[in-house]
Amino acid sequence: MAKTIIHFSHATFGFPGVIALKDVSLEIAEGEFVGVIGPNGSGKTTLCRAILGLMRPLEGSLQIFDCACEELRCHHRARIGYLPQKGALDRNFPITVLEAVMMGRYGALGLFRRPTKQDREIALEALSNVGMQDHRNAALGLLSGGQQQRVFIARALAQQPQVLLLDEPTTGIDITTQHSVLDLIRRLHRDLGLTVLLITHDINMIRSLVDRLVLLKTRLFAAGPPEEVLRPDLLSQVYGKDLVITEKDLVIVEDYHH
Amino acid sequence: MLEMLSYDFMQRSLVAAALVGAVCSVIGVFVVLRGLAFVGAGTAHAAFAGVTLAYLLGLPPLPLAVIFGLATVWVTGVMEEKGQMKLDVSIGILYTATMALAILFIGLMKGYNAEVYGYLFGSVLSVTPEELRAILALSFLVLGVLLVFSKELYFIAFDQEMAEASGVPARRIFYLLLTLVALTVVVSLKTVGAILVFAMVLIPASTAYQLTHSLFHMTAYAVSIGIVCAVGGVLLSYVWDLPSGPAIVLLATTLFFLSVLVSPKRLRRAPAV
Ligand SMILES: Nc1ncnc2c1ncn2[C@@H]1O[C@H](COP(=O)(O)OP(=O)(O)OP(=O)(O)O)[C@@H](O)[C@H]1O
Ligand SMILES: [Mg+2]
Repeated sequence: MAKTIIHFSHATFGFPGVIALKDVSLEIAEGEFVGVIGPNGSGKTTLCRAILGLMRPLEGSLQIFDCACEELRCHHRARIGYLPQKGALDRNFPITVLEAVMMGRYGALGLFRRPTKQDREIALEALSNVGMQDHRNAALGLLSGGQQQRVFIARALAQQPQVLLLDEPTTGIDITTQHSVLDLIRRLHRDLGLTVLLITHDINMIRSLVDRLVLLKTRLFAAGPPEEVLRPDLLSQVYGKDLVITEKDLVIVEDYHH
Repeated sequence: MLEMLSYDFMQRSLVAAALVGAVCSVIGVFVVLRGLAFVGAGTAHAAFAGVTLAYLLGLPPLPLAVIFGLATVWVTGVMEEKGQMKLDVSIGILYTATMALAILFIGLMKGYNAEVYGYLFGSVLSVTPEELRAILALSFLVLGVLLVFSKELYFIAFDQEMAEASGVPARRIFYLLLTLVALTVVVSLKTVGAILVFAMVLIPASTAYQLTHSLFHMTAYAVSIGIVCAVGGVLLSYVWDLPSGPAIVLLATTLFFLSVLVSPKRLRRAPAV
């Protein structure tokens, strides 16, 4: 059994007046591919931010690389590649695509060290992995939303991370790019032994991809192989509607009967 | 015309102007991108309050200006982090409070003190050799630190949380930036004055912002514009016997409006559909 690198133990996280994650216990092993699903506001993004050490547990504990999350240091964070959930980007911010991807190298470089030619090559390779190498000198603000998303994936990859946290990576990306991005993530996971945590609302897309699925709604409702987690009773508890899984698809029961 | 360059005071003021132009415009890039414009304006007034207190107590003005400036930016930083109040509101309060202090201290002084007003309106043509040395030292300090931490500073300007998440000590870099803003303001107080210093920080960087989509180019343009305006303003003020601060700032403002006219960012929005 591979080593545990992320270990939630009865951990509770929240904001003033809000509990976002309650009493979560979960172990993620090195090299695992874990999918996270749950309705809006169920604490998926909070789970990522907790793993990055950006929040303190209110109760319980969370260990990453054998380090308590509230004591996570910069060199630990540099080993975690993070694609934030798509947010608003200031379109006038003067930055080129390559400049943005190079920022992925900064944490690993540490203070006082300048990016070298090698860092540049790593950034360019990350860009070509998402099919954006031809746009390297383009203004980031002038790209489409999906193209920007691909650039941010490239930035996470440019970190050459050990753990990849992807918060809805395929949202807003066209279907062919979705496939190539997921293919890339699968390849990185398989070839480099990357530990991947992928948040998504696209249950059909994710279930064939992951080793384990985590079903969240503030509490951890289930964690295990997709076929164990995607049980109608569990899903209806979490989503509040009856869901059924057909051969290929997951549909809301009312629609299914029509 | 060239003979003016042979005067000592002219040489001093040109060097001082060029340094202030360079330091202000580089720090301006980060201030504009990180959205700290108002913070800097508040700091200038706080630093001026420090100067007035120094004159009231008969102390050297520079250290007190630094202390007041730093206290203001750090309080601002904490308020922005806590995020409980809108930043413009809390700065607005600090800004007027420090200005009230400055006016209070001036009122407590006996008689009219022309030197104090020099810090308010700036008088680059009267920079003394000691002042020039202080400007030189602080400028190199600020520029050196900016250079060493430039990659981190760009990153937090772009996205502080992302920077933190990917292993950059973003909070510490943010406070470093605030500290440098305060030092820059103090460096520039004597040359352009408390009221106008922030124009020197904002305008060259905003002008450069209009002209490019690259961080690197924006910085290069900002520095060039800053130095050209500062030196050009001093020359204009000498030739036409104008006050130097307004000459510098109005020259920069003119360039800014020209840049808005030719900005590729503006043109991008122009074609309908
Ligand atoms: N910065 C914040 N301040 C206060 N409350 C927050 C903040 N961010 C999230 N929350 C709260 O925490 C809870 C979980 O939010 P989170 O963003 O983790 O949900 P999510 O599962 O990622 O949702 P979505 O599918 O919409 O992305 C929500 O109730 C939200 O209101
Ligand atoms: Mg989310």
